[in-house]
Amino acid sequence: MDQHEVAAVGIAKMLRDNGMEVIYAGCFNTPETILQAAIEEDVDVIGISSHSWEYLYYMPELMEMLQKEASPIPVVVGGSVITAKDKAALGEIGVAAVFGSGTSDAKIIGSIQKLADR
Amino acid sequence: MTRTTRTRSGINLKSNYRPDEGASETLKNDYQDNLGDPGSYPYTRGTRDNPGGGWIQRELSGEGDARRSNAQFKYLLEQGQSGVDIIGDSPTQSLMDPDHPLAKYVIGTQGVSLCCHDDYRELFDEIPIDEISISSSGPPMFTVASLYLLAKERGISPASVRGSVLQFPFYAEYCGYAYKMPFELHLRMTCDIIEFCSQEMPKFHGFLEDSYFFSEAGLNAVEEAALAFVEIRHVVRTLLNRGLDIDSFAPRIAILVNCSMDFYEEIAKIRAMRRIFARMIKEEFGAKDPRSMAVVIACHTSGLSLTTEQPANNIVRGAVQTVALGLAGIQALEISTFDEGFRTPSKEAHLVGLRTQQIVDLEANITRVQDPFGGSWFMESLTDQVEEKVLAMITDIESRGDPADLVTGGYFKQFFQGAMSRYHQNVSSGEVTKVGLNVLQVPEDEDTLLRDVSEAKFEPLLERAEQLGVFKASRDQSAVRESLLAVFKVTSSDENIMEAVISAVETGATMGEIVGVMREASGTPYDPYGHLTSPIEG
Repeated sequence: MDQHEVAAVGIAKMLRDNGMEVIYAGCFNTPETILQAAIEEDVDVIGISSHSWEYLYYMPELMEMLQKEASPIPVVVGGSVITAKDKAALGEIGVAAVFGSGTSDAKIIGSIQKLADR
Repeated sequence: MTRTTRTRSGINLKSNYRPDEGASETLKNDYQDNLGDPGSYPYTRGTRDNPGGGWIQRELSGEGDARRSNAQFKYLLEQGQSGVDIIGDSPTQSLMDPDHPLAKYVIGTQGVSLCCHDDYRELFDEIPIDEISISSSGPPMFTVASLYLLAKERGISPASVRGSVLQFPFYAEYCGYAYKMPFELHLRMTCDIIEFCSQEMPKFHGFLEDSYFFSEAGLNAVEEAALAFVEIRHVVRTLLNRGLDIDSFAPRIAILVNCSMDFYEEIAKIRAMRRIFARMIKEEFGAKDPRSMAVVIACHTSGLSLTTEQPANNIVRGAVQTVALGLAGIQALEISTFDEGFRTPSKEAHLVGLRTQQIVDLEANITRVQDPFGGSWFMESLTDQVEEKVLAMITDIESRGDPADLVTGGYFKQFFQGAMSRYHQNVSSGEVTKVGLNVLQVPEDEDTLLRDVSEAKFEPLLERAEQLGVFKASRDQSAVRESLLAVFKVTSSDENIMEAVISAVETGATMGEIVGVMREASGTPYDPYGHLTSPIEG
């Protein structure tokens, strides 16, 4: 239920400009809608942007769903509200990378590319 | 580190300005026509003649449930704020009750959870709604309905209630709290609220044009003003087409603008907007009443301008923006607090925001002289240039077709997405300097000042969903059902919806139920997310 889209839209374009195919699922997603879209679109990586604290509750749900899949899709999460403490917690449930405010475009591209190449 | 030589909207800033600059005509020959004194047409120099009058000082608040938010109001009022402004949590802003499945983890964490009249009663408990300005950034229809009912309950005439509600029929779906309702319905709702207020609550601004929220998509000052005017003009035309007299509602149109760190251009933008509005309302829409032409301008400082790095720097940003706004002569102000990169304002941050305003007002005495930049070769030149660009953009947008078609056809959606990408690109490349973010960074482990306050979190109010269930069951079910049927019926007609909505609110119908039924009457699903069924099915 978060509508702060500036970063999500900006990063989606940035990734496209750098040769990646991005399917932007828009706002107001839940683990179910994300999972469904990811499977339907056969994505290599799932990227989640959040400016609300919902990721604290939804990410464990999403990671659990993904782990049940035959080949779980790696997940990266970004957002300026994410604190160092949150980053650690997300890492613990299996989130592959967390991008806080100020992460360079190069770093984001590099991380996602590595995950996709696996 | 180079400093930019242009404003955000691309206007070149010379190294200094001289008497023979572009605005010399304005200054020498056309003072009355182009500037006027503060409080005189065309209001370039100020909406009112009010030296030393300051502005309505408030901080945007709202957190958790109505009780907690009521306590916030009381604290801020004790600390000297002169008005209140409230914002709902994400579900509330999207007209969604807290028992909606999507609302679960975000109840009360980004604003206050409000869904029925009892909530508003609790929110405004012991708040003198007839003495201070009551602004709401929450759902306008329900704010007005509940304020109207509260006034009656307290034996106050609704005609004495002052304040404002935001209206954003054009842009909410694309860069803010999406209502997920047909554009025509949103526009109709907007106009019905404005018309109702003009008749029943004539001191209340039923139309606060909110250019703040959509310009946070990364728009520059010219784009912000142009899109605000496109929306204002369309709403005005729609109201005039209903047969209303322009002077019956125009005095209660106001604008909530943004304020970035682009100091000079933000002042010029406000001056230009006042002049554009005055001329438009008089010359194009035929207003006779000076109060129709003098637009009230409020401001919320830019959240986008803040950083999560070195949160203390945001206090400085708020102060700089407040000085700009004081110099520009705005009527009301809210500072985005130092912790808003992480959360809705903490108590500490609220106080700092309020004190910032009070210090700029009382110690720097900013408003003792009105429009001190008036007559400046630079500021008059910049005001003229901003005005020219804004007018050109309005003309350009309106030449592309009926603004309503532009809304539904995706033009604005594309506009916002383009602006968002552009902003991201500008910050990433360093073209826009953000101290602490892309320059002058501090290692994470050293960046500790104010982090404890800023990074503190609290839980969503999961219990609200159950409490709502109990409340719903306690209502007079047939009265609620009858009132919702009446809302359905009136939505399908040409009548103003407010009377039926107020009656429904009075029976205890919730926001989600009322809006859902309105969606149904417009031929769209009760719940656009497909989870809920209508209480008036069958």
